[in-house]
Amino acid sequence: MQETFWQKRLRDVAAVLVVGLFMFPLFWWALTSFKPTSAIFDKDGIVWFDFKPTLVNYAVTMLGKSRAELAIESGNTFGIGGASSYDSRQTIIDSLIVAVGSTALTVLLAVMAAYALSRMRFFGRQAYLNWILSQRFMPPIAIIVPVVFMFHYMSLLDTRLGLVIVDTLINLPIAVLLMKSFYDDVPADVDEAAMIDGATRLQIFRRVVLPMVKGGVAATAVLCFIFSWTEFLLSLFLTNSIRTLPVKITTFVTSTGSEWGFIAALGTTAVIPSFIFILLVQKQLVRGLTLGSLKE
Amino acid sequence: MASVTISNIRKSYGGLEVLHGIDLSVANGEFVVLLGPSGCGKSTLLRMVAGLEAINSGQISIGNVVVNDLHPKDRNIAMVFQNYALYAHLSVFDNMAFSMQLRKLPKDEIRRKVEWAASILNLTPYLDRQPRQLSGGQRQRVAMGRAIVRDPSVFLFDEPLSNLDAKLRVQMRTEIKELHHKLSTTIIYVTHDQIEAMTMADTIVVLRDGNIEQIGKPLEIYDRPANLFVAEFIGSPSMNFLSGEVGAEAGRPVVRANGVTLPLPLDAKVTAGQIVKYGIRPEHLRPGAGSEGIPAKVSVVEPTGPEIHIYADIGGQEVCSITQDRLELSPDDPIRLVPALDKIRLFEPATGKVINGPDESRPRTLLRA
Repeated sequence: MQETFWQKRLRDVAAVLVVGLFMFPLFWWALTSFKPTSAIFDKDGIVWFDFKPTLVNYAVTMLGKSRAELAIESGNTFGIGGASSYDSRQTIIDSLIVAVGSTALTVLLAVMAAYALSRMRFFGRQAYLNWILSQRFMPPIAIIVPVVFMFHYMSLLDTRLGLVIVDTLINLPIAVLLMKSFYDDVPADVDEAAMIDGATRLQIFRRVVLPMVKGGVAATAVLCFIFSWTEFLLSLFLTNSIRTLPVKITTFVTSTGSEWGFIAALGTTAVIPSFIFILLVQKQLVRGLTLGSLKE
Repeated sequence: MASVTISNIRKSYGGLEVLHGIDLSVANGEFVVLLGPSGCGKSTLLRMVAGLEAINSGQISIGNVVVNDLHPKDRNIAMVFQNYALYAHLSVFDNMAFSMQLRKLPKDEIRRKVEWAASILNLTPYLDRQPRQLSGGQRQRVAMGRAIVRDPSVFLFDEPLSNLDAKLRVQMRTEIKELHHKLSTTIIYVTHDQIEAMTMADTIVVLRDGNIEQIGKPLEIYDRPANLFVAEFIGSPSMNFLSGEVGAEAGRPVVRANGVTLPLPLDAKVTAGQIVKYGIRPEHLRPGAGSEGIPAKVSVVEPTGPEIHIYADIGGQEVCSITQDRLELSPDDPIRLVPALDKIRLFEPATGKVINGPDESRPRTLLRA
């Protein structure tokens, strides 16, 4: 169907509106992070751009300055209060370790498990697949108590390794199923051609099939990373001194009030690693999502 | 190069037997086509030769080596697949070089062999491209290149042209035949396309439901099909079949079909009262002049260019007649059709077996020479 001039314009406008709708909260959050407390809580209405931008919120969360220090430095003592537990540098490091670790472990296990499930015929294969799928139905809250006890006995409570393991367990089913669908898109003839060419199973996997599903690996990794990066419930129950980002942010809601400026600053900062990660795998990601067009 | 011997091969999936004891021997350098409708077991048989399917019972030898328990890579075979099965992430060069890289051949030898294959297949300008940048025909040539660089003793082709468009298919057919001529390697080629089989094969093996129906040279199979199935499967438009009963008229054997008398040669080995299927190919059933021939009524006329296909009704049974004469005919015109007596094949309706072929008594070697 040929689009008329106005249909085209209308579509462009719709696209801009949708993107705007999704981007607005991010924009507002980022904007808030640069506002002084007085602009965040203005009794006369919403402050858009009519404020003096400040990096105080970042100085507190990212540089570990206490608000008292900053207040004395600037000579403005409005709204001083709370201790200096807003330093989030360790939190970001911990979150990165947990997210990268669990993503790497999940992808490593999933690419191998999914290859076997896609290519090999063994007894109980379908039942096994159904079982994997059923793991996805399970809400984490349902297993949290036994997990806490198990982790306690294994001394994994309040460790980064513990979080890596638990995030991997939660991510693994969806990662395996996703990777399997990417492998299924590669015709089995390719494996057979490589087999006739003289490759062993391992060589077929490493040199032929895995490179052909690179895009799928990227997509799976992004999914796992984002899940792990934003995972809240399990981290909350399984850690005490180690704080991942979502848990840390909740501590900014205190008995004396919510520190919106710090929340916004940390929230804005938290977007950056995912953004960089997706940027890194973007090329593969697009290929992964359009893998179908490579087949024929 | 090597011969291939398949003896009493059986294959079942679960309780279902799909190959019922296949015996076949392929001579060194022979181009054998396994032909049959889908589900006849031809691909399964090929994959068993390749080592991609386990053999339930029987024996396959390549050269003088029994390969039943050999891994595909140790059979010295090469296979070309219907969907090309190229390594999408590798360049054309690396696709062809892959097997040699695995065997750790010296780099300059790999380059020499790939370039040789590329020159045979007209792929030299494309060596640095990715498979997805190639057309279907080029992709299939890369798949063939991947096969020939290995200098295999047997080439296996699994419906390699099915994904190509009609024009390219004709072109690749010629190319594969030329390739066979150049390399004179043993080829086993699977297809459901009888034209491919007829044009390329030294020997055609017609398969149905896991059994071999007939083995022979293309024209042998076309001219003297062993049974109804082969007669019907080979040839387009396919052979005409008219059901009838053997009788006699003026001292000659004839077949009576719905009140129409069909002539038979004098030496037809039939007995009166026998129910038969009267088979005659369209090109052997020509429009006759005057009052000779079988009376019929034209239903459809299809001019194809070199010839005209006339579909006509003989006593309620439809037949096709092919002529190169420029006849002016329209539907419902009366027409008379004259069968070539020495080309008539009679089949037993129940078993499908051929009863009488005018050429049957002629020694087969005479025709082979």
